[in-house]
Amino acid sequence: MSLQAVLPDTISGLLGLEGVLGDIVGGLVGAFLVANIMLIMTAFAGPWAKRKITAAFGDRIAVNRIGPFGLLTIVTDAVRLLSKELIVPEGVDRPAWDLAPMVIPFSALLGFAVIPMGNGIQLADPETGLAFAFAAASIASLGIVMTGYASNNKFSLIGALRAVAANIAYEIPLVITAASVVIFAGSLRMSEIVAVQAEPLLTVAGVTLPTWFAFVNPFAFALFIIANLAEVGRNPFDIPEAPTEIVAGYQTEYSSVYFVLIYLGEFIHIFLGGAIAATLFLGGPAGPVLPGFVWFTIKIWAFFLFTQWARSAVPRLRVDQFLEIGWKGMLVLSFANLVLTAIIVGVIA
Amino acid sequence: MSDWIAIGAMGLVGVGLPLAMMAVSALLRPSVPEQGKSATYESGEVPTGTARVQFNIQYYMVALLFLVFDIETVLIFPWTVIYRSALEQGASLATVLTPMLVFIGVLVVGLVWAWRNGAVKWVKSPQASRRKTERKDA
Repeated sequence: MSLQAVLPDTISGLLGLEGVLGDIVGGLVGAFLVANIMLIMTAFAGPWAKRKITAAFGDRIAVNRIGPFGLLTIVTDAVRLLSKELIVPEGVDRPAWDLAPMVIPFSALLGFAVIPMGNGIQLADPETGLAFAFAAASIASLGIVMTGYASNNKFSLIGALRAVAANIAYEIPLVITAASVVIFAGSLRMSEIVAVQAEPLLTVAGVTLPTWFAFVNPFAFALFIIANLAEVGRNPFDIPEAPTEIVAGYQTEYSSVYFVLIYLGEFIHIFLGGAIAATLFLGGPAGPVLPGFVWFTIKIWAFFLFTQWARSAVPRLRVDQFLEIGWKGMLVLSFANLVLTAIIVGVIA
Repeated sequence: MSDWIAIGAMGLVGVGLPLAMMAVSALLRPSVPEQGKSATYESGEVPTGTARVQFNIQYYMVALLFLVFDIETVLIFPWTVIYRSALEQGASLATVLTPMLVFIGVLVVGLVWAWRNGAVKWVKSPQASRRKTERKDA
């Protein structure tokens, strides 16, 4: 069983429920809590933080001035976006067109089921946690294909094809780099991967560094972050949306709440990417002084800020350059990293 | 078992939240259907034909290549999990590492073959390049 109690057990314990009923009630309440934590983070990230950051990078004034620190923008935007008219274009493939905006946030939220967020906030801790997180995150590609095909728009089709080509080209480097971490950890269980990283690595001038895999294998960390950036489709890898080339890619024909859901899914996906990176390489919710959940939040927001920084500062690659870097560069480097890690671990052990 | 009940619960919430948002929006939003509003966006021009058209075969080549490597990653994961404990239990490095090196080697040969045959190189469509040249001549 897992190292510490997972969130559903804590909830069913508090409610005094036993057995399968406790599992189900605890699971539902826990899932609702975790999903709402992510919704709140996305509400801050999407309408507010993204605008603040982009405005600061571009040295301009943006729609971010309502209320203290512009925080009321979140409220006004939520009302505005939910009350927009839903325009259904001609010739859309109806069930697929309506289902796609549900599939994209579903995939990202499902991935969060296995992420340890600190302070015992972890919904489930199965033995195959890491593989499950990658599998859940990959479902988003299906949603993107559905948007692109069902929209009956050429820009959407090109955007969806590019998104899938991008996801599959960078999925393998991502997973193979994660596998090189599993060689150290010897487990796919998220809580065990975090626990292994708690051991001290070395002490420099009174400060003890933990064995975070970002310190143990910085090359793998760099590869993972680059592949992650491509997976979430941010610059320099934002060819699926590429506003100056193909309007808005796969989401061109979506308006109103459907657009909100696709956007929401994308942002939760960025946070999921950050959460997997934090769990694998940055000791999960570990950190000095502050409680675990605060550190977890800091780490995934750091990844979010990194994606926004890259978005503002780095030019976009061409689609052919993008795929060549993926297949000829990242893939070869990630396999080299895996083999080298295996040899080094084998010689030391 | 309780882990998978919790994951299933997350799946339910993951479907329920979008549905709830759609329901709230359906109560709030206006519906003013107008002629022309529902045309698909094609940079302001009148759309020509459907979007279910033939597209670049390159995407298919890349997808085929992906299948090969994706199955490979599935086979690599169990090996990475047992690798360290197998070494600690006294298995020699050659027994644990060599089979995987051979396996990866076979796939690298495959990648080199695909690379040399241009499967991962973005080829320009001959039709499109011809059209561009014609325009230059005119």
